[in-house]
Amino acid sequence: MESLESLFQPGQVSTRAETKAAYSRDASRIQGPCQGVVWPETVDDVVRLAQWAAETGIDLVPRGAGTGLCGGATPQNSIVVDSSCLRKIGARDVQSKMVVVDAGIPLDQFNRTLRPDGLFFPVIPGSHRSATIGGMIATNAAGLHAVRYGRMSDWVEEVVVVDGKGEVQRLSAGDRKVFAGREGITGMVLQATLRLTEIPKSRSLTLFSFEHLADMLEQVKQLKTNSALSALEYLNPHAAALVGWTARHCVLAEYHSAEGEIRDPAEMANLWGARESLSARLTQAGFPISEDPQFPPETLEDNLDWLTVQNIPVFGHLGVGILHPRFLREDARIAELYYRVSASGGQISGEHGMGLKKRQWASEALKAEVLALKRQFDPQHIFNRGKLC
Amino acid sequence: MLIDLTENPACTECGLCREVCPVFQIQRQEEYSPRGRAILGSAGIQTLVFYQCTLCRTCRVVCPVGHDPGGEIIRAGLISAGIETEANQMMIANIRQYGNPFGPLAEGELPKTLTCC
Repeated sequence: MESLESLFQPGQVSTRAETKAAYSRDASRIQGPCQGVVWPETVDDVVRLAQWAAETGIDLVPRGAGTGLCGGATPQNSIVVDSSCLRKIGARDVQSKMVVVDAGIPLDQFNRTLRPDGLFFPVIPGSHRSATIGGMIATNAAGLHAVRYGRMSDWVEEVVVVDGKGEVQRLSAGDRKVFAGREGITGMVLQATLRLTEIPKSRSLTLFSFEHLADMLEQVKQLKTNSALSALEYLNPHAAALVGWTARHCVLAEYHSAEGEIRDPAEMANLWGARESLSARLTQAGFPISEDPQFPPETLEDNLDWLTVQNIPVFGHLGVGILHPRFLREDARIAELYYRVSASGGQISGEHGMGLKKRQWASEALKAEVLALKRQFDPQHIFNRGKLC
Repeated sequence: MLIDLTENPACTECGLCREVCPVFQIQRQEEYSPRGRAILGSAGIQTLVFYQCTLCRTCRVVCPVGHDPGGEIIRAGLISAGIETEANQMMIANIRQYGNPFGPLAEGELPKTLTCC
């Protein structure tokens, strides 16, 4: 480790026991041994680090806020590269609604700086308080407003990446398959040019609840034709009861208009607060395993019915078919869920990524894609070795 | 690979507390964040890092499950184990000997050193 420390300023590298323990896992709580942590401050720092990794054979694990749920930032005898000192926000072009940001900027902090110009970045995962732009690109995050704004790859114009050859790549939106949702296996995203949008003039919410799933899905179909719709969040009866809502199929619809029943900002904040606390509350209630399959719309009824009959708490971004069923540790039904995802023509990972947790479910096509990307950008498997598949 | 979740039952390790923590804002290292300290606690690591917590409890306000970091209890445990900062030791010795945390002070003299944990 002395050779690593000699490359950086004091304070940029730590191999202390405390550091290694704190970085041994992310929010997935999948743990692995960490050899040390580096806090780069420039692109050159990461270039030097990649060269060092190539010489030593020790792999690098890029890390944003460590809010990932699949072990994407869990080290495996690796050096963790923490982006928390990369937080510059460039001058924004209000006219073209574009800005260049460092990868380590947390989303909420970023959005607070945009507010005076009436702009915001609209991809909002549940972890928005801490989640970083770099991590959101790496997982191709979708989140609470995906039904209106899509996912990260729809809003990234360009990224600066240091790849596994220690080369600085400037990749445009056309190359999004190289970086968006690749969980750092092609290199570490250090900077991004993002598109922004205007803050809506008004917002309102309606909380629907239904006894029967079919009735709910009929309503959802109608809601999706509303051009003011900006969120469509689902809780099944089991999950709804856990946040104190009626134990029915609940849908929280947000509009960028005043047509919702709830317009009081405090009341809206309360509802969103309950929705956003669900993940942690389900963990505490004994359902720590969070999955994120994405189902095609026509298969939702059958799969939601199965989940509810199985008494599995579920919430999710119904507008885009991403669900978050929650399981007990080592629940045998997880395998059944992924069999159903596959049979439905859905995606194993809607937005959390594959990380270490879902490698076993990776398709042959994904494995081939990853191998090809590794050959091109990281032939020595320096970045996030063994992740994704 | 997945930890035994009874190891750290009170904190779900979601990390939503990081950005409100004034210490993390300065240090930018996970071990100084409320989540990081919870992980250290669950691993049984006794360290001076716990003295860096300002005890402000802003983390509890934003925690989705309202977890209290219990900084005072952790520090009490550290002191019992003899793990203290030099400043803390000096402060306590001064209070015991001179009745104030600053040490010997003449009448009307202002303290030159402000000791804190």
